Amino acid sequence: MEQGFDMGRLKRILEGIKPARENLIPVLQTVQEEFGYIPPESIRPVADYMGVFPSEISGIITFYAQFCTTPRGRNVIRVCRGTACHVRGGRTVLNAVKKLTEIEDGETSSDMRFTLETVACLGACALSPVMVVNKTYYGKLNSGRIEAVLKNLP
Amino acid sequence: MDCLHSASDLERLRLTVRRKRDPSVVEISVCGATGCRAWGAEEVISRFETELREQGLTGKVLVKRVGCQGFCERGPLVTIRPQGIFYQRVTAADVSEVVSETVMKSNILGRLLLTAPGSERRFVYESEVPFYAKQKRQVLALNGVVDPTSIEDSIAFGGYTGLEEILSLQPTRVIETIERAGLRGRGGGGFPTGTKWRFARSSEGTRKFIICNADEGDPGAFMDRAILEGNPHPVIEGMIIGAYAIGAGEGYIYCRAEYPLAIERLALAIRQAKELGLLGENILGSGFNFDIRLHQGAGAFVCGEETALIASIEGRRGMPRPRPPFPVQSGLFGCPTVINNVETFANVTRIISLGPDAYASVGTNNSKGTKIFSLTGKVNNTGLVEVPMGVTIRDVVFDIGGGVPKDRKFKAVQMGGPSGGCIPEKFLDLPIDYDSLLEVGAIMGSGGMVVMDENTCMVEVARYFVSFTADESCGQCSPCRIGTRQMLNILTRITSGQGTMADLDRLQRIALQVKSTSLCGLGQTCSNPVLSTLRHFRHEYEAHILAKRCPAGVCDALVLSPCQHACPAGIDVPAYVAFIAQGDFSKALDVIREHNPFPGVCGRICHHPCESKCRRGEIDQPLSIRYLKRFAADWAYENLEEPTEPFPITKTQHVAVVGAGPAGLSCGYFLAGMGYKTTVFEALPSGGGMLAVGVPEFRLPKDVLENEIGYIEAKGVEILYDSPINEYHTVDDLKAEGYDAVFIAAGAHRSQELGIPGEDRNVEGLVHGLHLLRGVKTGEFVQIGNRILIIGGGNTAIDAARSALRKGAFHVTVLYRRSREEMPVSSIEFREAEEEGVEFLFLVSPTRIESSNGKIKGVRFIRMKLGEPDESGRRTPVPIEGSEFFLEADMVIPAVGQVPDLSFLPPDFQLERVAWGALKVNPDTLQTNIPWIFAGGDFATGPSMAIFAIAAGQRAALSIDRYFRGLKGPLIIRDEQYFLRPEPPSDPERLDRIRPRVDMPRVRPEERITGFDEFEKGLGEEEARMEASRCLRCDLERIRDMHVEDW
Repeated sequence: MEQGFDMGRLKRILEGIKPARENLIPVLQTVQEEFGYIPPESIRPVADYMGVFPSEISGIITFYAQFCTTPRGRNVIRVCRGTACHVRGGRTVLNAVKKLTEIEDGETSSDMRFTLETVACLGACALSPVMVVNKTYYGKLNSGRIEAVLKNLP
Repeated sequence: MDCLHSASDLERLRLTVRRKRDPSVVEISVCGATGCRAWGAEEVISRFETELREQGLTGKVLVKRVGCQGFCERGPLVTIRPQGIFYQRVTAADVSEVVSETVMKSNILGRLLLTAPGSERRFVYESEVPFYAKQKRQVLALNGVVDPTSIEDSIAFGGYTGLEEILSLQPTRVIETIERAGLRGRGGGGFPTGTKWRFARSSEGTRKFIICNADEGDPGAFMDRAILEGNPHPVIEGMIIGAYAIGAGEGYIYCRAEYPLAIERLALAIRQAKELGLLGENILGSGFNFDIRLHQGAGAFVCGEETALIASIEGRRGMPRPRPPFPVQSGLFGCPTVINNVETFANVTRIISLGPDAYASVGTNNSKGTKIFSLTGKVNNTGLVEVPMGVTIRDVVFDIGGGVPKDRKFKAVQMGGPSGGCIPEKFLDLPIDYDSLLEVGAIMGSGGMVVMDENTCMVEVARYFVSFTADESCGQCSPCRIGTRQMLNILTRITSGQGTMADLDRLQRIALQVKSTSLCGLGQTCSNPVLSTLRHFRHEYEAHILAKRCPAGVCDALVLSPCQHACPAGIDVPAYVAFIAQGDFSKALDVIREHNPFPGVCGRICHHPCESKCRRGEIDQPLSIRYLKRFAADWAYENLEEPTEPFPITKTQHVAVVGAGPAGLSCGYFLAGMGYKTTVFEALPSGGGMLAVGVPEFRLPKDVLENEIGYIEAKGVEILYDSPINEYHTVDDLKAEGYDAVFIAAGAHRSQELGIPGEDRNVEGLVHGLHLLRGVKTGEFVQIGNRILIIGGGNTAIDAARSALRKGAFHVTVLYRRSREEMPVSSIEFREAEEEGVEFLFLVSPTRIESSNGKIKGVRFIRMKLGEPDESGRRTPVPIEGSEFFLEADMVIPAVGQVPDLSFLPPDFQLERVAWGALKVNPDTLQTNIPWIFAGGDFATGPSMAIFAIAAGQRAALSIDRYFRGLKGPLIIRDEQYFLRPEPPSDPERLDRIRPRVDMPRVRPEERITGFDEFEKGLGEEEARMEASRCLRCDLERIRDMHVEDW
């Protein structure tokens, strides 16, 4: 984990993008992709570059669920809470994950190993109940499989 | 690839690509989309690549990564073409055999073939697969065939032919074509696409936009994902066509971030289209310029709403704005904008290539074409289903979807996601089109269809949807922002057992307000799940509020464990099962006896509602709770010799019970347990009621029943036999004699008549079912006929049939006026009866009984067919004209139901009755209009199941106790746990290994009918313990600290 915020990295991202209003959300998405989250220190530089007020950026960050202003764990676990998953026991999956990771929805474990989020629907409904860890989808979950998946994460 | 400069360039490329395809090359298509990937499709693909390389087959055999075919349940899916061999659930380990056997030698690997559920039939070719065959796959036709990462492959299969054509037409002609086809938007609104384009075309302004809404946010919907991942080019083509028609030079695809693979495929497809000159300037030399940019969503469901989507592209918070002005007048950056859904654009492409009339030949009058549904939830075949508009919901759920798994009962299908409604069973035959669904409170929506069964709580479903929309509400307008929160609070209170009836009115009012005053579609439709569940499932809401019960066994605050909750007598099932697992059979029996003094009886004949709720059933099969109960009772009978101490009498009141059946005896038992002296008056010389006279010996041996009656007597209940309550000894007399309360549980023993000509009591050979069963049991019954007709379809009919066979009848037929599916008996009993040789005829009704010289000759019947559904949705049988026929018989046994016989009560008695002749009884307190007279069991409800009678006895005892103590108000019986908790299982990690139910040893059918011996032999000790150890101990799971925000 770097101590200070790396302006250089941010500058490199911004350089490739036209400061038009419609690029605001894509820029933030790229920043999040790069840093793993949106560092609060980046808000002002981005605002200045894009020609908007920092408050407008904060407004966007807080509106859209995708954006996060605190560092996330190495493994981002997203448990699906869509209808199909719900009907097939999605809540039980969430409770099991909460118990195993010892964190609540929206939190990151203190050792930075896990971040737990819920998602409205991952679109893998035929496999319900589903969770995604980083970019891998796991379907037809039960307590055994959940434990096996989480145990093997770095 | 070289840039194409004209339509003929494109045609030339198409021919070239087609010619390049070597028909002798074997193609192994593996679905690499999200669903199959979760099953490990990527490993399968790379193994194929390795295997082919090692075998030197590259070039002769091709591995193709294809898109979502919609049969995600069976992934990874592998199709080998040109033969079309269809393999499912292929693992990386199977790959080398697939190559060596099927590819090289054309040998089919049976284990990878799809089998029809419940049969041995296997399907080899993709054209045979029923899931696909019953669909009309048009938009999805190329999913699974085309390589979505290759524009050339798309072109080879006809991609961009539509574009070629329209570039030579006037834009208005294009709009006319779409209007003529009758295409309506597939995103949920169903607005006529041609009309929308026409408005945009005629709006002022030179800068116009076309946007593809790929923000498929409805939970449970993944049609657009499949299209984008599996065959994106028709969507792009559709956008170009649309842009040309309205005069737009710029397009956007707004795709949700939760679909990373779709975004990847779209980006690639756009890039490839640009390289070929199909996007950009002067497309195919027509002078038309159009380009597409891809935007990712950022996790806001509301951005699926068009004005919110526009705001998001503009770099603002995704908050909708009021309309008018509509986007077609003033949309993105204030310019005329058309927004259409992914599936709509794919349909546009189809219309142009098929021609509008051919397109419009499919579907209904107002809803043309096909629609893709994502069928998920409690259904056997989950996946994507494309059908013509106008097929019924039943076709989709049962025919294509294969019905509800594990023999559970269908309850509802949620259509339209959080904007839609829950449709109950009675509307299953509704045709699916935009307008018919609105009438029942649902919408087509984007196409999500979530099937729900008896174990889904509809109140909880409403709460779930409202919690979702409350979370996703943008907050701009008060009705939605505040209304969703308030609805959520009320629903959470109701599911936590704290709701009141006033809450229902409040909920309805708020729901309607939010619906009619919200700014955008999210708010205007978020009430639909609430309104539709209130409309169709109000009884579930009322159960949560009035009885603090969740009929589906779901709501944690009300349900300790679903089995216990489902048991009408509230037995602590997990406790006794756990004690059995641990070898403490005596304690298990104690647990049962806390709530049911008839373990041996129920262990043999209970219809076990607990088992259909057993959560173990989700893993493999439900626990055999009934067999375990029997085991505990039988073991105790064999091994326990403890002297039974009567319950101490601690109260002064004395209660009289009329009838020593299960209801009456249970009432006496529970009253004794509370310290009351009870006397049961029984008219017959022995006890048991219907259990004694109506249930045959081979299902319930006499000594088991007598043993349990003996136990009840030993616990202090006084039973007086040959002591009827009638005009010589009335209920009033009992009061005068000093009884402080009376519970009437006289059962329902009077057989109903058929009500047809020829039904003369004096005819020899005409014997009512109950009469036959009683006679057989008491030994009075003498002569059985040879050729027997039994009219009816319930337990009495089946029991009479099986008894008749055992008595030596040669030919026994049961004739039921409805269909097999509607027969009230369990499938096990039906199968047993069939095995023993009972013949069944369905949909026949008797019209006349023929007799001569006082002896039965036979019966005339008429065939029936199921007609229109009635109020409850049940289809009424109607006679088929001219289909009468005659069956000979020497014995006819009507068994069409029983009714309580109130004749023992004096006619001027003050007891209030209901319309059909039974007593009017408060269902909660079991009181009649006279406060000290209570009634319950079959006597009050009509014929029902034994456990309901026992539960009624329990309720009556509690109610009588409250009456004596002067307590008023409703009697709410909550689940109680036995005071001792059995230890948790020793090996919890291995609990969810697949282990099917234990088999109950049964006597073979041929041997069974030689006598009346019990044919279920019972479980041994070891088997019982093993079966009991399968229990998941749902009683140990407690959810603490449930917050309102918790979904």
